[in-house]
Amino acid sequence: MASAPANESVVAEVHRMASVGRMLAAVVHELNTPIASLLSNSQTALRSIELLKDLVAGGRDPARAMAVLDNLASLAAVDELACERVAAVVRSLRPFSRAGGVRCQTRIHDLLDDALKLVEWTYRRRIAVQRDFGEIPEIECLPEALRQVFLNLLVNAGQAIEGEGVVTVRTRAEGDCIHIAISDTGKGIRPEDRPRIFSRGFTTKPAGEGTGLGLALARDIVTGAHGGSIDFESQPGAGATFHVRLPIAYNRHAD
Amino acid sequence: MQTNAQPVVMIVDDEEMVITSISAYLRLETEYQIDGFTDPQEAARRLETNPVDVVVTDFLMPKMNGVQLLARSKQLQPEAARILLTGHADKQNAILAINEVGVYQYLEKPWDNAQLLLVIQSAIERTQLFRQLREKISELDAAHGNLKDIQTRLLRAFL
Repeated sequence: MASAPANESVVAEVHRMASVGRMLAAVVHELNTPIASLLSNSQTALRSIELLKDLVAGGRDPARAMAVLDNLASLAAVDELACERVAAVVRSLRPFSRAGGVRCQTRIHDLLDDALKLVEWTYRRRIAVQRDFGEIPEIECLPEALRQVFLNLLVNAGQAIEGEGVVTVRTRAEGDCIHIAISDTGKGIRPEDRPRIFSRGFTTKPAGEGTGLGLALARDIVTGAHGGSIDFESQPGAGATFHVRLPIAYNRHAD
Repeated sequence: MQTNAQPVVMIVDDEEMVITSISAYLRLETEYQIDGFTDPQEAARRLETNPVDVVVTDFLMPKMNGVQLLARSKQLQPEAARILLTGHADKQNAILAINEVGVYQYLEKPWDNAQLLLVIQSAIERTQLFRQLREKISELDAAHGNLKDIQTRLLRAFL
């Protein structure tokens, strides 16, 4: 990537924005519930205050006043929960708001967790995630770029599943490499699509859903910028597994 | 099923906080009995035995979606009004809900409490009118049967 021409980085940036954009619908949905609850609760709180004013001014029906207060107290707990949910969404978006980045020692599991947190909303409760994380060393890499690769593979895995299914993320140290395998129980990749899957502009997704750049960029990032490899295996109707292999000791003086 | 003296509102959403918020508002403004369910299948089982006036449900839930629940509700308690309250501004689901289960209202989250209350109030009124109408019709049926019976006996006695 370091030696790529300038327009390559523009392509990568456009794709980064597009893939985060695709997450937006899920983000909006995840924010909508706590916000709806908070809005309703604030309307209820105002109505309660009006009622309490009347009850206090009239000096009557203390039992009713207590019931109104208890009702309000039940909402305070919900408000706190709702705010925590909004804060969690913001926290999990933050890693993806950074572009570019520099090489540094990174725990690959942290990057996978960042991507999983974001993608789990799009899965809603439809898709179960299995984390099968092994013992792997930290490696020197471009964390922003790899996080994007994992996000792409996970979004693809989720989109391959119609209805319910499972996405498994497995990590292992294999000799001088880290092996990350992302599997889904989805519809699989058709034999005729396989030769073109890493080509720029190739997509099987409906218009507006895929940029056709995700896997091409993933390959550039994994092979070009990290000296690793990316490949896949798939049976039609029986899901697909993408294998990413990253060398533990990449020639760090290369760039 | 009989008309409830105290109207019963069923609220189904897999998000507990939605149920808590709506219940708190309805408790403040009304005397309704509120039955909240985070599990739509459990809600469907309740509909088999307990009469409700209104079912307010989310769309996207695990195990059973809102339209499926409302279809079951229509089958078990056709008079009970059906309201879909969804976070998904999804035209396809709205069409499905209107065509397949005859929803009374399609509302979107975030909702306005006062508007939701108005919708629920008029839905209860409608449900209770339906139930009263059915009771009247069966009373009329019974009266008609009685008259027929009397007429037969009269004819037998005098002719």
